[in-house]
Amino acid sequence: MLPNIDRKAFFGYHYSKCAARIYLDCPISGRKGKVMQDIIRTEHLVYEYAVRNDEDVVESINRAVDDVSLNIREGDFVAILGRNGSGKSTFAKQLNALLYPTGGTVWLCGKDTADEENLWTVRSSAGMVFQNPDNQIVASIVEDDVGFGPENLGIPTEEIWKRVENALNAVGMTAYAETSPLRLSGGQKQRVAIAGILAMQPKCLILDEPTAMLDPEGRREVLKAMHELNEAAGITVLLITHYMEETVDADRIVVMQNGRVRMDGTPHEIFSRTDEIHAMGLSLPQATELADRLRTAGLPLPQGILSEEELVCELIRIRPGQETAAETAKPAQTPETAGRTAAPAGPEASAEASASAHEHRSELALSHVFYEYEPGTPMAATGLDDVSLTIRQGEFLGIIGRTGSGKSTLIQHLNGLLKPSRGTVSWNGEDIFGEKYDRRALRGKVGLVFQYPEHQLFEETVLKDVSFGPKNQGLPEEEIRARARHAMEAVGLSEEYDERSPFDLSGGEKRRAALAGVLAMQPEILVLDEPTAGLDPAGRSRLLQTLLKLKNEGIGIVFVSHSMEDVAATADRIVVMHDGRVEMDASPREIFRREKDLDAIGLAIPAVTRMARRLAAEGCPADPDVLSMDEAVQNILTAWK
Amino acid sequence: MFKDLTLGQYYPVDSPIHRLDPRSKLLITLIHIIALFSARDFLAFAVSAGFLALWIALSKVPVSYMVRGLKPIIFLLGISVFFNIFWTKGEVIWQIWGIAVTKEGLIQAAWMALRLVLLIFGTSLLTYTTSPTELTAGLEQGLHFLNYIKVPVHEIAMMMTIALRFLPILTQETNKIMMAQMARGADFESGGVVRRAKAMVPILVPLFVSAFRRANDLAMAMEARCYHGGSGRTRMKPLKFSSADWIALGGAALYLAAVFIV
Repeated sequence: MLPNIDRKAFFGYHYSKCAARIYLDCPISGRKGKVMQDIIRTEHLVYEYAVRNDEDVVESINRAVDDVSLNIREGDFVAILGRNGSGKSTFAKQLNALLYPTGGTVWLCGKDTADEENLWTVRSSAGMVFQNPDNQIVASIVEDDVGFGPENLGIPTEEIWKRVENALNAVGMTAYAETSPLRLSGGQKQRVAIAGILAMQPKCLILDEPTAMLDPEGRREVLKAMHELNEAAGITVLLITHYMEETVDADRIVVMQNGRVRMDGTPHEIFSRTDEIHAMGLSLPQATELADRLRTAGLPLPQGILSEEELVCELIRIRPGQETAAETAKPAQTPETAGRTAAPAGPEASAEASASAHEHRSELALSHVFYEYEPGTPMAATGLDDVSLTIRQGEFLGIIGRTGSGKSTLIQHLNGLLKPSRGTVSWNGEDIFGEKYDRRALRGKVGLVFQYPEHQLFEETVLKDVSFGPKNQGLPEEEIRARARHAMEAVGLSEEYDERSPFDLSGGEKRRAALAGVLAMQPEILVLDEPTAGLDPAGRSRLLQTLLKLKNEGIGIVFVSHSMEDVAATADRIVVMHDGRVEMDASPREIFRREKDLDAIGLAIPAVTRMARRLAAEGCPADPDVLSMDEAVQNILTAWK
Repeated sequence: MFKDLTLGQYYPVDSPIHRLDPRSKLLITLIHIIALFSARDFLAFAVSAGFLALWIALSKVPVSYMVRGLKPIIFLLGISVFFNIFWTKGEVIWQIWGIAVTKEGLIQAAWMALRLVLLIFGTSLLTYTTSPTELTAGLEQGLHFLNYIKVPVHEIAMMMTIALRFLPILTQETNKIMMAQMARGADFESGGVVRRAKAMVPILVPLFVSAFRRANDLAMAMEARCYHGGSGRTRMKPLKFSSADWIALGGAALYLAAVFIV
């Protein structure tokens, strides 16, 4: 495995020891012997770390991994699930000796990871890919980066080139070998990171939430690459993820909670235990969730349905009798005609309803806005192309579109952070780029929450940080405090958080603190750029609930998201962006009726809608217009019973 | 979407100079600097200028592009010319309010300006024709001998590599944080020096936190890829001297000799 390393230099005097020689002489690739059956073996693995206070005195001992005994067979695709802080990452880092056990033992390919002389063999045979695609690429040219691992291992030059070529080929990135990582998308960068590991010719690939920061397209790319490596090259894959859909094709799922393994089995087995999954704050794949709720309500569906196809097949199997079907089934509507005939809760209607309590509704209007990046240079690029849009206080507007479609550029126009190259943005009829217009005051009215807003926290305490906005507005001291408190309350941060450091909070809490920081300015319209990115399922649903609550209090919400499910479940109106243009602007129902048009620009429809449509297409009495889980359950139950 | 930040404005064309080993280019640049500072008379400067002209012609970097690169140092050039003109003693040719302009001063100023311009042209040609990555590799492999006097050459080169990779990322990040704080009503434009400095805190703290987080992540990722310093490492792209390098170095040696002789 490490042909050109001076083993003596690496493994020191231990090398001469008999035991060490046995391990080294047993090549990693060897499939002989019983040891190789289990590529990873842990026995009563414990990892503890000390929590220190400001004076560096140990306050408490935290047990991140607690008595984990796990065997992973060579060639398996294993998914590890668990909430944030459940010990998944810490566990994974034990496997390639980035952390050492406090108690118990980890064997990788039969080698004890705690044994220093195994270090480089362990690390090169269990490669690890991390969450943030930017932070694991070392070099400024793709191929140089992929060659980094083999260089460290002391592989000869020609062999490095061969490996780099093969690795890039395996993840489909050959065409980008000489590109700068800066020019790649998130999914491409993650694939480069995977290639960088592959070039070390590992037996096992450990991926720590590799898709958390990616858009759906990037997620698909990375998932596909992982499965191909698993199937074609027989590489063992350990995937840590928050996306349940990514785990259904795994050979095995391990669920962790509080550092312990709570469940361990096939996807079928795990997702049959729906109550336990929910109790742990995890979610189910959409199809499983729908099947589970239908079964609970009395439909004879089997346990452990994982895919949309399975559920659709099962529902067709138990479809109501032919006569009843003919009665209840709607005349076969094409999505287009349906769009014209039935126009339920359109944007006007719903916005009207939710804001009826308000006398005055503020309004933000974009009129023929164009925006060009770096005009007059060879790098000039169109950001926005003739965008006209009106956003009203009290409505919940979803903005969807692929990465690079202009969503982020658009929302930075809403509070005047970017100035249109052409066209106007007006707030209650006033041009915000007019002379003497106070744009700083506007930013209090149109609150903008950036992606990963927790990255802008900076104060010593949460309360001070949340007060930053109101303080900039020049309010009196008591008012600042009152507003900050109110905002924190709105996102569910009680008074005990006031004096805590924002840097000590959990990921979800940080996100909410950052949201409070914008809410404290008491905006009339709140704009959020992918506010649920990187949160676990419980954190995601909690945040969406908060947004709905704010909307009911009369705030306008503009919600940019990659999750069709989230948008369909919350928005009154959806704007679809594509190539810097507003491609569609209508109610969710109308938007998601245009499945083909959305597909053409690389967008999907919500999973429940997709399933209902398949059922309707098969002649079942399902309403092809359902948008949310609740609607789908209602609709199918009434029709099938 | 983003500015393409390359340090030293690499000019990506294919030329004989671009293809040279970065180590030869580093050495030739050094020779050029030595030659310039030992040049004392007109002929020596002419040799130097001639060499540079040939060098530029071979590099295919447009002269206008190089002249534009002079802009940032015009101020420096102005100052040195100014001091040379007025503070050199000698034969007075013009006088106003006791400040004298001397003949020697004028000559000295002219030499100085010429020397500086040739120097800037020569050194910037190095960065125009060598990508930062090559430059780093050149420094690491060219200065390898410094290891023997305990200079951590590999570590310095690795730091440069990482800096090159992360500078553009951190620049983007700074922009993003600035925008985010502006969205919270932060004001970076008005107020005096103290207020403006204070206004930077909401940018600097998150930026440092993020830089540390990235450093942490990167260190972890590098360790996971078996990085353990420079020892026992092989190279994917080892530098090799070609015949072109020997010719170029030979030319540079002739140039240095010529400057000393004339």
